[in-house]
Amino acid sequence: MKVQGDFLLPLDQQAAWNLLLDAGVLARAMPGCESLLPTGPDQYDMRMKIAVSSIRGLFGGQVRIEDKNPPASYRLVLQGEGKLGHLRGAGLLALSGEAESTRVRYDGEVQIGGLIASVGERMLDLTAKMMIRRFFGALEKEARAWTQAPAPSSGLPTGNVT
Amino acid sequence: MIAQPFDYSAPESVSEALALLGSRPDSRLLAGGQSLVPMMKLRLSTPAHLIDLTKIAELHYIVETNGSIRIGAMSTHRQIESSETLRQSCPLLAEAAGRIGDAQVRNMGTIGGSLSHADPAADYPAPLQALGAKVRLVSKGGERTLPIEEFLEDAFTTALTGAELLYEVIVPADPPGAGSAYLKLEQPASGFAVVGAAAQVAVQNGNFSLARLGLTGVGSKSYRARAVETALAGRPATPATIAEAAQQAAGGVEALSDIYAGADYRAHLARVCARRVLEAALARAK
Repeated sequence: MKVQGDFLLPLDQQAAWNLLLDAGVLARAMPGCESLLPTGPDQYDMRMKIAVSSIRGLFGGQVRIEDKNPPASYRLVLQGEGKLGHLRGAGLLALSGEAESTRVRYDGEVQIGGLIASVGERMLDLTAKMMIRRFFGALEKEARAWTQAPAPSSGLPTGNVT
Repeated sequence: MIAQPFDYSAPESVSEALALLGSRPDSRLLAGGQSLVPMMKLRLSTPAHLIDLTKIAELHYIVETNGSIRIGAMSTHRQIESSETLRQSCPLLAEAAGRIGDAQVRNMGTIGGSLSHADPAADYPAPLQALGAKVRLVSKGGERTLPIEEFLEDAFTTALTGAELLYEVIVPADPPGAGSAYLKLEQPASGFAVVGAAAQVAVQNGNFSLARLGLTGVGSKSYRARAVETALAGRPATPATIAEAAQQAAGGVEALSDIYAGADYRAHLARVCARRVLEAALARAK
């Protein structure tokens, strides 16, 4: 399924770029992310707990950041697996300055298979979009926290995030 | 498939149910089971403990007091559809309940279960948004009452915390002379609304003195089409006013897209359903 859209971060483009590559920020913003641990440059192991409606499931997987073109774009690649099924996704995030803010456009594709696919396209599509909205909503909050205290974290990812 | 093994409790009071809910993690409340049980049979949902609410007598009621109708969470769609109280004082909700699923689903499914599940294409949210309904949530520590707009946060996401139970839904009785209607274009296999629209209007001196419109199925959550309501308020109660106002039914909403209806078509359906349901409600207003 295709995912596409854009959102606005209240940061200048360089700060937005830093935010979008801060593992601690990403771990806090990804819905259900329980841990995001580095395994190499721009590579992480991720554990995610999905809780949508009465569905609960743990997913483990990898997140990779590719084709970095600071501060304009990068590709985010993720894959995960759990008892409920598997998911693979890749997408381009493109940043462009807009007055004091930065517009982030995302354009990608997500594939979901296994048991969870039996809920049908309607529910998967809704759920994927909801998780993306929550992710960007959380990023906006992180961005606002940065504007108030502009001290980016060390870039060292945190271990466990709740 | 058969569901994974689970423990089962059937408390007879709300306080007992709340105590059970807090007593162990991975407990789920079971209302009519029309969404949860299929998920369990697919093994997508594997709660360790089910708390069945059907035996709790205090959650089964539909009563009118002081201009409001209070509907216990375990009222079935069939009970809401056939309630004399609702048919008299809030026919919109009864009409929408009658359009849910099929007779078997309506006999089992409950308003509390449906709202807690928060499917964005469910029927109830459209009339409840239009009516400005409220829901009362209870927990061991207390209770709170929320407008439906705040309760339904997102697709399959509500304001309920893990320790709360939806106790009742509160809808205002229709003002004198009001007319209402519910209309949906449904997915033929599931009966879910591709687009569902609920309207309530009243007319004074030839102008709209009341106009409310709720939509479901269009976006990732149901909503009140305030732009349409504003475009109707105080204006002549005519098909021309309605046709113009209905153009804004999907404004500012990111319409869903699936194999059955693309986003543009869904937005178009929202405008068409809005127009037709407003006309139907107007025809019923006195």
